[in-house]
Amino acid sequence: MANLIIHSPILIIAIPLLVAFLTPLIGRASGKARDVLVVASLAFVEFLVIILARDIYLNGLRVYTLGALSPDLTIPENYIVPIRIILEADSMSIFMAIITATVSLAAAIYSLSFMKEETGQDRFYTLLLLLAVGMFGMELTGDLFNLFVFLEIASIAGAALAAFRTRFADTAEGGFKYIVISSVAALMVLLAIGLFYAQYNLINIGALAHVMQYTMLDKIALVLLVTAFMMKLAAVPLHMWCPDTYSVAPAGITIMLVVASYACLYALFRTCFTLYGVCLNLTTVGWIVIIFGLLSMFIGVTMAVFQTDIKRLMAYHCISQTGYMLLGIGVGLAVLDNPEALNAYGIAAMDGGIFHIINNALYKGLLFLTAGALFYRTGTRDLNKMGGLAHKMKWTTIFYIIGALSISGIPPSNGFASKLLIYESVYQFNPILAIVAMITSILTLASFTKAFYSAFMGAELPEYQEVREVPKSMIAGMAILAAGIIFFSLFPGLVVDRLAQPATNALINRGVYINGIMGGGG
Amino acid sequence: MSILGLSYSPWSPIFWLLAFVVVMIMAYFFRRRGQKKYKKDTAQTKIFLCGEEVPEAKERHIRAHNVYWGFFETMKEYYDTNIKAHTGIINDYVIWFLVLIAINAIILFIVGIV
Repeated sequence: MANLIIHSPILIIAIPLLVAFLTPLIGRASGKARDVLVVASLAFVEFLVIILARDIYLNGLRVYTLGALSPDLTIPENYIVPIRIILEADSMSIFMAIITATVSLAAAIYSLSFMKEETGQDRFYTLLLLLAVGMFGMELTGDLFNLFVFLEIASIAGAALAAFRTRFADTAEGGFKYIVISSVAALMVLLAIGLFYAQYNLINIGALAHVMQYTMLDKIALVLLVTAFMMKLAAVPLHMWCPDTYSVAPAGITIMLVVASYACLYALFRTCFTLYGVCLNLTTVGWIVIIFGLLSMFIGVTMAVFQTDIKRLMAYHCISQTGYMLLGIGVGLAVLDNPEALNAYGIAAMDGGIFHIINNALYKGLLFLTAGALFYRTGTRDLNKMGGLAHKMKWTTIFYIIGALSISGIPPSNGFASKLLIYESVYQFNPILAIVAMITSILTLASFTKAFYSAFMGAELPEYQEVREVPKSMIAGMAILAAGIIFFSLFPGLVVDRLAQPATNALINRGVYINGIMGGGG
Repeated sequence: MSILGLSYSPWSPIFWLLAFVVVMIMAYFFRRRGQKKYKKDTAQTKIFLCGEEVPEAKERHIRAHNVYWGFFETMKEYYDTNIKAHTGIINDYVIWFLVLIAINAIILFIVGIV
């Protein structure tokens, strides 16, 4: 077991990568064997992530140097800087990896039935696993260039998956938009990395943070990185691709694309807190993040209420919920150099923002899967054409209610707990921000009530007389996320203490991350 | 494990659920004391529209685009402006990106100078 823990950072990336390329070979022999292999590999990765998370919680961060005599030998003998590819897993990165592993597993199980009638399933699962590899890589790497490479892997796989069902007219457009914005964002990230390399001869995050001087070029790199990651995580006004892509992707893939955008959120946090940290003009950058958050919350939710396409409605809510995370983290960033304010409400705001990431991955994932279930049975995403489906799809209705109550922040849901943390702490920073957040929550409830009424309520419609509940694997995929929501709702203290708070501390104490690299000389 | 420490007061979903169960029991108690002449699956339970003929299910279901009509009418200007900005053209998305890079750079450099 000790060996497994030591090598788990690389195994979490390598196993899905290996299985991704095995999938077409095994799929030729047996479709069932391929399905079992895909689900089993993701289940094993989930196990690895959990044991690594436990290890990090007990023993602190873990580094893994590829090609070194010992994985923790980050700086080779006779060198003063790290030159090898290094993975660095701290509480923040493993927090994100837990989300990725859980959602990827649920998405794969759900897709077994959802994609059953589609052609080219071997390619589908290869791409799904590559998307997971891209996300895990972004979350676990300690190296900026590798971050770029994994960002590209996730972007290409995500675009191909969004456009996978070519028999629908709009899928190619969704996939095309995703690859264009991803490529533009990735190019800016690469340009920023070039600026760092030109100045410091380094691309390792910890080593760069150690020598960061905040020169003019560093400021340009900061602007490029922040804007590029904001684009990828669909913060307003860079959000417009999001509903176009999320609405056409298969439901299982949509939830993975949501998590892929959170991997970019992680990259944004890593940039602001670890790479630049106190070098930044914290109040300015904090307020930039807060304004992005406010715009995302309000414009996202008001556009969502207006929608009649259920997946576009949910996609706009993704934008809106990202706003809460940016708001919480932005407040923490703005007061990072003010210990009094940081202890009074900054840490709580960051806890709330980080807790909201995992909550949103669970309930937004569940809601997208219920939207997929409705599409699977009715053949439409148009809420104007739906009605009375609760009579026929009881499990889907129950899962929708769980997800909708949670995203709307209705007690005792996990969404309520994270929003309450954000409201309370942000109110102390600036009451107007908390008021906008509460209005957003009310409008969220309004739009999910609209979707619930339109799709599920009312008498049975004659065109849906033959509709029945979705297959068991789709129910199982939804059940995994619903179980997560219920658990997180009942034990918010546990989740905040064991997951969110350590992640916040990992962001605040950048010295630990830097020392993980610079203190590992041979 | 279930208690979340907050700055004003702690939050516990378990206590909330206990309170919810108590309220539900009270509601059930009052409901039991209500009208007992209700007969399931009789004419009593059918829809009554002042004696008018009840439309088919399809016709009486209010569709999504009618929900919150008043809200959208009131916010018409906001929505017109907002929808106009969502062109669906990828070139516009990239232009927004470039504009945001410029704005962020200006803010950061102005602050740096000041």
